[in-house]
Amino acid sequence: MKRPPLRRLIAMCAIFAFALASILVRLAILQVSQAQAYQARAMEQRVSTVTLPPWRGRLLDRSGEPLAISVPARDVYANPHYVTSPWSTAKKLAPVLDEKVKPLVRLLSSTGTFVYVARHVPVDVADRIAGMHLEGIDSIPVSARWYPAGALAPQLLGFVDIDGKGISGLELQYDSQLAGKAGSRTWEHDSEGRPIVGGIDVERPPVPGEDVETTIDRDLQYQVQTALAQYVRLNHATGGTVIVMDPKTGDVYAMATYPWFDPNDPGAAPVANQRNRAIVDVYEPGSTNKVITAAAAVQEHVLPLDRRLTVPWTMRVGPFTIHDSHPHAPERMTLGDIVAQSSNIGAVMVADQLGAPTMARYLSAFGLGRPTGVDFPYEARGIMLPLSQWSDASLATMAYGQGIAVTPLQMISVFSTIADGGVWVQPRLVRATIDGGGVRAAAPARTRRVVSESTARAVTQMLTYAVADGTGTEARIDGYQVAGKTGTARIPKPDGGYYTDRSIASFIGFLPAGNPKVVIAAILDRPTTVYGGIAAAPLFQTVARYAIERLGIAPAAPLPLPPHALPAP
Amino acid sequence: MLFCVVMAVMVLTLVSLKALLAQQSFAVDDLSKRIDALEGQHLELASEQAQLSAPGRIADWARQSGMRLPDDIRLLHAPDASTGPGGAGTSEGGT
Repeated sequence: MKRPPLRRLIAMCAIFAFALASILVRLAILQVSQAQAYQARAMEQRVSTVTLPPWRGRLLDRSGEPLAISVPARDVYANPHYVTSPWSTAKKLAPVLDEKVKPLVRLLSSTGTFVYVARHVPVDVADRIAGMHLEGIDSIPVSARWYPAGALAPQLLGFVDIDGKGISGLELQYDSQLAGKAGSRTWEHDSEGRPIVGGIDVERPPVPGEDVETTIDRDLQYQVQTALAQYVRLNHATGGTVIVMDPKTGDVYAMATYPWFDPNDPGAAPVANQRNRAIVDVYEPGSTNKVITAAAAVQEHVLPLDRRLTVPWTMRVGPFTIHDSHPHAPERMTLGDIVAQSSNIGAVMVADQLGAPTMARYLSAFGLGRPTGVDFPYEARGIMLPLSQWSDASLATMAYGQGIAVTPLQMISVFSTIADGGVWVQPRLVRATIDGGGVRAAAPARTRRVVSESTARAVTQMLTYAVADGTGTEARIDGYQVAGKTGTARIPKPDGGYYTDRSIASFIGFLPAGNPKVVIAAILDRPTTVYGGIAAAPLFQTVARYAIERLGIAPAAPLPLPPHALPAP
Repeated sequence: MLFCVVMAVMVLTLVSLKALLAQQSFAVDDLSKRIDALEGQHLELASEQAQLSAPGRIADWARQSGMRLPDDIRLLHAPDASTGPGGAGTSEGGT
């Protein structure tokens, strides 16, 4: 046998040695210099982190009944990469999702690795889809916002977007408290996505959002909305607003704006219906503003309560002629008569005695021209010109509520001030927030004294007279003394002047006059019945009856009527 | 010999502990699933309760059943406790 040549053996050994050395060098490179990078890449492949969305808190009424809750749902998605037949998959999905086939085909044929097929799908529907075992189709658990009472206080509650973020109303105002904090789960898995036993598995649980307890009474809110819709129809009005409030605490029991919308499907109604007109829109208050004129006159002692003024039907103020709503011969009227009969000329005569600076001071003290500070987004401040910009007619028109714009909430606060003995109380919509740690009461409402208790009492007497024998008789309720004021305001044109055939009819009042428990503002937009005493006072009465029943309001000892020159009822 | 016995006991203990741990983890897993199921059930019941107690639904049902709101509301005054039965006193809050 011939032995291999030594040189070949050496060559082979050298080749093997070189190959081994190369492997060793490569190993050294991989294990030493590039070790960290490869380790990181391996971890990236093995370890996944998912965000765990928090459960959004509930909106509750004042008794803890749910107004807005979150319910489990699924987002169905596709990885078009793995969808082998978009047409056949779409045909199977369409009837289950109640969608058309073509748009689904477009989605399933798109490029990329992730596309939503349907969002906020009920869990049972998502389970049916999962049961079909469609390639490239899967779902993610999410929560969907649901308003179980439908169109109940929708402008007040607001609604959320598809990602569960509040975009209007209290959902927006309290979004940070309602939203909670997202958690996460990090785990190690194999190539099929199965968890590796003993591997990394860290979960940071999400913190659920806080519940927000509103001041709304769900049942009263429903009754108010029913009444509002009924009276809008009866009076052929284009819309309306009703607010029911506690004068002592500022708690808003009900707040309705018609027309409304279903927050479960906000896109189905016009966007204008989403505005909470009680807070974000302004109107000229008309004669309800006379309560400020009267309160200022009493507080400033410019007119003794039994003093009689001779009030004509018309009056010349600068370049304008102002008149009462109906022609009448010159009449002897006390301040009580002026309020009860809603005399514009009488109000102008009283305002003249007050003077513009004093009138401006009282308008501001009652909260006009500035936001109430209620916890609601985009609250309007109203329109009140600074004193320096008042025209010759400003004092006169503001005395009876034209040439000034307010929100319904500002105006009900004026009457609430009188009902609460002269103390203005900030309205509030939220009583408390509730989380795992318990109940946190909202800060007490801000208050400030505007007029003395005796002034408030004198004005209340005038308001009871207005209901007993003035323009507000349609608001009377047997067994209760009601205090209130009608308002019929003309609507300004965008280019100046007023429409002659459009008005806002209102009635704002409280009861029982001797011990007020509830203040109610009833406002109708452009009723064919025109006047506050005809269109809005009956709406006030209907809502007041509901409030008496729901809140268990007992009658109080009646107040005497104010000094008056006109015959008593 | 003693060494072998000690080793055997240790191995047996380790195996038993491992089995116990596995058993516990199954129990924990079962409990987690049960918690999830009960939470889901709670949510379902809460949303069902919310839907059923919605005032609009109750009002519709009442209307269909022939009920209607009273035409007039009268507040009856309960006699003051101090005046006894049949007393003429009044108190707030009665409806």
